[in-house]
Amino acid sequence: MLKMQNIRKSYRSDTIETHALRDFSLEVKEGEFVSVTGPSGSGKTTFLNIAGLLETPTGGQYLLDGQEVGGLSDRDRSHLRNEKIGFIFQGFNLIPDLNLFDNIDVPLRYRGFNAKERRRRIEKSLEQVGLAARAKHLPAQLSGGQQQRVAIARALAGEPRFLLADEPTGNLDSLMARQVMELLEFVNEWGTTIIMVTHDPDLARRAHRNIQIVDGQVSDLRQVAQHKQSAIA
Amino acid sequence: MFGYYVSLALRSLRRTPVLSALMVAAIAVGVGAAMTTLTLNYMMSRNALAEKDSVLYAVQLDGWDPHEAADNPSEMPWQLTYQDSVNLLRSDIPSKQVAMHRWGGPISLENSDVRPFNADSRVTSRDFFALFDVPFLFGGTWSEEADQSPIHQLVLTSETNDKLFGGENSVGRTVNFNGVPFTVVGVTEHWQPSPKVHDLNNGHFNKSAEVFLPFGLHRAFEIYPWGNTNGWKSEEITSYEDRLNSDMVWLQYWVQLDSPKQVEAYRDFLTGYIREQKEQGRFPRPLKIGLSKPSEWLLLNEVVDGDDRMLNWLSLAFLLVCLVNAVALLLAKFLRKAPEAGVRRALGASRNAVFSQHLVESACVGLLGGLAGILLTLAGLSLIRQLQMGYMDRVASMDWTMMLAAIGLAVLSSLLAGFYPAWRISRTNPSIYLKTQ
Repeated sequence: MLKMQNIRKSYRSDTIETHALRDFSLEVKEGEFVSVTGPSGSGKTTFLNIAGLLETPTGGQYLLDGQEVGGLSDRDRSHLRNEKIGFIFQGFNLIPDLNLFDNIDVPLRYRGFNAKERRRRIEKSLEQVGLAARAKHLPAQLSGGQQQRVAIARALAGEPRFLLADEPTGNLDSLMARQVMELLEFVNEWGTTIIMVTHDPDLARRAHRNIQIVDGQVSDLRQVAQHKQSAIA
Repeated sequence: MFGYYVSLALRSLRRTPVLSALMVAAIAVGVGAAMTTLTLNYMMSRNALAEKDSVLYAVQLDGWDPHEAADNPSEMPWQLTYQDSVNLLRSDIPSKQVAMHRWGGPISLENSDVRPFNADSRVTSRDFFALFDVPFLFGGTWSEEADQSPIHQLVLTSETNDKLFGGENSVGRTVNFNGVPFTVVGVTEHWQPSPKVHDLNNGHFNKSAEVFLPFGLHRAFEIYPWGNTNGWKSEEITSYEDRLNSDMVWLQYWVQLDSPKQVEAYRDFLTGYIREQKEQGRFPRPLKIGLSKPSEWLLLNEVVDGDDRMLNWLSLAFLLVCLVNAVALLLAKFLRKAPEAGVRRALGASRNAVFSQHLVESACVGLLGGLAGILLTLAGLSLIRQLQMGYMDRVASMDWTMMLAAIGLAVLSSLLAGFYPAWRISRTNPSIYLKTQ
C-alpha cells in the first residue's frame, strides 16, 4: 500500500540546513491502522506531508499502491491525493464560511463527480458520523468533536483507501477524543488504511502497529495488536 | 468548475465587504476615467460611413502652388474648384457622385405663424442622398435637370419639416428660401453623422444641414459658400463667373466606386483629366490625385488629434495606477485566504485549480468594477455635456459597444491585476497552513 525507502527531507535556509527525515523507511500494508509517535520536531508531520503528497522528499523512493510518485506532476499528485488519500487535521481545517454540506463537497468537486453523486456521498458520510441533521450548519455552530467528525466525513466522502490523521484528537476533551477514535477504528474495520500521528500513548496503543520517529528516523516498531494483524492478513 | 469558482468568488467577496468594495472601487475609478476619455475619442473617430467604407471615396486633385504644397499631410487641397467639380460630374464612371458645399439662408412659410429662421443648408448634386444612404421620410431627391439649371426644388430634413409643417408630409408644398419660393420634393429622416465625415471642412462635429438645395442654383443665386474657401495665387475676380472659373477650392467631392475595376478606371480618368488641364496651363505641380475611403479620410483630416490621443494615454496610465492598487488589495485578500487554499490543496486541488479559482474571483471583481465604471463613465460624460462645450453634447454619449468595452476593459484589467496574487497563493506550501490553522 505505502512503501518508503531511504526517504530524506531537508529544509534549507540562508545558512542552515535542517534534516527533517533521514533514511526514513517504512512499509504500511493495506487495511493497517498505524500510529506514529515521537517527540515534537522529530519529523512526524513531515512524514505525513510526504505520505500525503503535500511535500516532495529531497531523496529516496516513495511507492503508493505500487506507483512511484516522485516524478509525478503537481496535477497528477493532486489527482492521486484527491482519489486515494483522506486528511484529518488536529485543527479540523474546515472552511469557516462553508456549511457542513459544502465543506464535504470540496474534495468531491475536484474529483469531478456530478451533483447527484456528490449529494449521495455527502449525505452518506454525514450519516456515518451522525451529523446528517446539521448539514446546513456552519462549522462555528458545532462543538470541537462535531467539527472533527465533519472533517472525518469530508475525508471519507471520497472513499479514500488511505486516511492520514495528524493528531486528530489533539484539540478534543477525552470523551470526544474517544468518540473520534472509535469512529476511526470503525472506518478502519471497513478496510481503510489509517496512519495516525498522535502524542497520546493510549490512542497509539489502540492501533495495530506503532512506529516511533526520533530525529527523522524510525526508531522502534512494536506490534500492539497481534490479533488485529492476523485478522487483516 | 467555473460555476463553482464563481460561487466561491461571490461568497469570498461577501465575506470581506470593505476590502471587496475597495477593490471594486479601484477598478471602477480607473475604468471610469479611462472609458470617459476613450468614449469621447471613440465617438469622435467613429466612421459614420463605415457601412460604405469600401465603395466611397473622397476625391482630391493637386492643383496647388507649384512651389509649395498645400498645408496638409496628403499635400493636396482638401477641396476642389468649381470648374473641376463641374467637369468631374460629367464622368459616367462612378456609380454615384456628389459635388457639394455648405451654404445657408433664411427659410420661411407664406401666411404662417412659423417664424422665419436661418437654416444651414447644403448645395449638392442629387446623388447626395443615395451616395451617403440618407433615408427619405417623404418624397425623394430632385430632378437631374435641377443639377444643371436653376430649378427651385429643395429637400428638408425631418427636423426642419417638423418646425415648418409640424411633421406633415410637405412634398409639393412651398417654402421661401432666401426670399425665393421653392417646392419641397423630399423630406429626409433624421440623419446626423458625427463626425461629419462627408464634410470635415466645416467643423468635424457640427450639425449637418437642415435644408438641401440643387447644384444648378449657383449662377442664379450667385451662391458664395459658407465655410472654407482657399486659393494659392492672386486672381483677379470681378464677377461671379470669374469666381466659378477661378482656382479657388471650396467644394467637397465624393464618388461611389463599386469595384476595383471601377476604381482603376476612375483613377485613369482623373489622371487623363489632369493631363488635359496641364496642357491648358493648370495643375502646375507633379501629377497627383487622392481617392480616400471614409476611414482614411478621417485619419487624414486628424479628426482625433494628438492632444486627444495623449489624453487617452494619460487616462490609461491612471487606470494602471488603479490596477497597482487593485494588485495590492487582491494580494492582501488572497494571502489572507492562504490557509483555505492549503486545505483545498490537501483535499485534491491542483495548483492550477487554486490559481483558476482566484483568477475567477479577480474577474468577478473586474465585472463589478466594470459595471460601476460604466456608471462613473456615464456620470463623467453627463458632466462634460453639462459644460456645454459646443459639439461635445453630440459625442459625449456611450453606446453599447463602449459599454461592453468598459466591462471587457475592467475584466481584463482585473485579470491582469489578479494574475500575480493568484499565482502567489497557488504556489504557497499548503502544509504550513494545515498545521498552523
